[in-house]
Amino acid sequence: MAVEVSNNHKQQKATERTPRILVFACKWCGLIGADGAGRKREPLPPNFRVIPVECVGSVEPDAVIRAFADGMDGVIVMGCHLGGCRFNDANHAAFKRLELLRALLEGVGIGRDRLLVTFGTAHEGHQFTDVLRNFTNLIAKKESLDTSWTSSRARMI
Amino acid sequence: MKTQQAMIDQAKSLLKKLLEDGEATAVFGLARGMGGVTAPRIFTMPDELDSLVLEPKWPLAKPAMEILRTAPGGYRLAVVCRGCDERALVELIKRNQVDADALVMVGVACSGEQASICLCDRPYPSKLDIGEAAHGVDPFDDPGVKYLLEGDTHTRMGRWERVLKRCVKCYGCRNSCPICVCDPCKLEGEPWVRRGIIPTEILSFHLIRAFHLADTCVACGACQEACPAGIPLVTLQHAMRRALREGFEYEAGLDVNEKTPVLFDFIQAPEKDRPIPDWINTLRD
Repeated sequence: MAVEVSNNHKQQKATERTPRILVFACKWCGLIGADGAGRKREPLPPNFRVIPVECVGSVEPDAVIRAFADGMDGVIVMGCHLGGCRFNDANHAAFKRLELLRALLEGVGIGRDRLLVTFGTAHEGHQFTDVLRNFTNLIAKKESLDTSWTSSRARMI
Repeated sequence: MKTQQAMIDQAKSLLKKLLEDGEATAVFGLARGMGGVTAPRIFTMPDELDSLVLEPKWPLAKPAMEILRTAPGGYRLAVVCRGCDERALVELIKRNQVDADALVMVGVACSGEQASICLCDRPYPSKLDIGEAAHGVDPFDDPGVKYLLEGDTHTRMGRWERVLKRCVKCYGCRNSCPICVCDPCKLEGEPWVRRGIIPTEILSFHLIRAFHLADTCVACGACQEACPAGIPLVTLQHAMRRALREGFEYEAGLDVNEKTPVLFDFIQAPEKDRPIPDWINTLRD
């Protein structure tokens, strides 16, 4: 996933104003929703990348931290509705874990709202668009996270 | 210090009895050796206990675990535990790192002075054998903790950045932590933190380290004491400990049978009618 990008990346970043957002989408709901949004030609902000995962339960909080460390301004984790997970209660476990991570992010000054955990079903392409648009607006008001905090060379986008 | 001497005498008689009765093969505690140097020591003979001391605070949970790992069968180690040592050992028992049958915990209360240094809200073990329990200190009353944890996120991010930039990546926080036992460690692996590269990748190194201890940290302060750069690492944990207490009514290290709520006790699962707490829906804020 990590790609080495040379200095033209930095120049590009200086000009771009839109925040960079990473979406972890569960293969059974979030990803199909994202697919549906694309198929319906919903107008989407161009600043996000989707990483398909088998289940949100497999999204390590470390991966979310790593995304912030690699210069993401916001991270969305999309799973199935509570009670509708393919893997019994895995989304519950993931939400609890990520809620704890949100407490840590708030503590360290990044802000808990930079990590969004949402639930949807496969047919809710419109919800995907809404969530992404609202989240982009929210993050755009904040300053970029890509300051001297991040010293890692590897970039994800 | 009269009370201190009385506590030491009480501890000596109690531990001597443990050794003489054969309840413990050895006692692990602090000893003032030659030249007035205080260091941890394994006492095997009752006479040796004359050099036992209780001060200063020295986290004994990790060395106790290392001793028990290599100990032969039937070995029983009595450990002189402060509140934080006891909670750390309970967490290690939960994770099958320490055999509970091979361990005798002798609880020692901390002084109020020590509690205010450590910002400890529970400066006594659950099974108190020696001394009297002092009052705990609420860490969120401390100006240093308030400075880093309360207020506008933007200013706090700058403060944290200044603090964490001092890191020299010595891995002291990880090595001293009584509960950091994973092998291999994620802080040494290529996809997460690159080894041997300075300056530290602040966010990935410190947040991954902090988060791995999210539901386990007993706030003993060993990481902070080990840090050569003086980074207030426990303050990071206080934020998560508060979230655990408020969201799950859970605190690490209190009960051997209580499992971490982050992996167990699913909220919706057995009872369908129980409402999902507000904090779970991050769409609302």
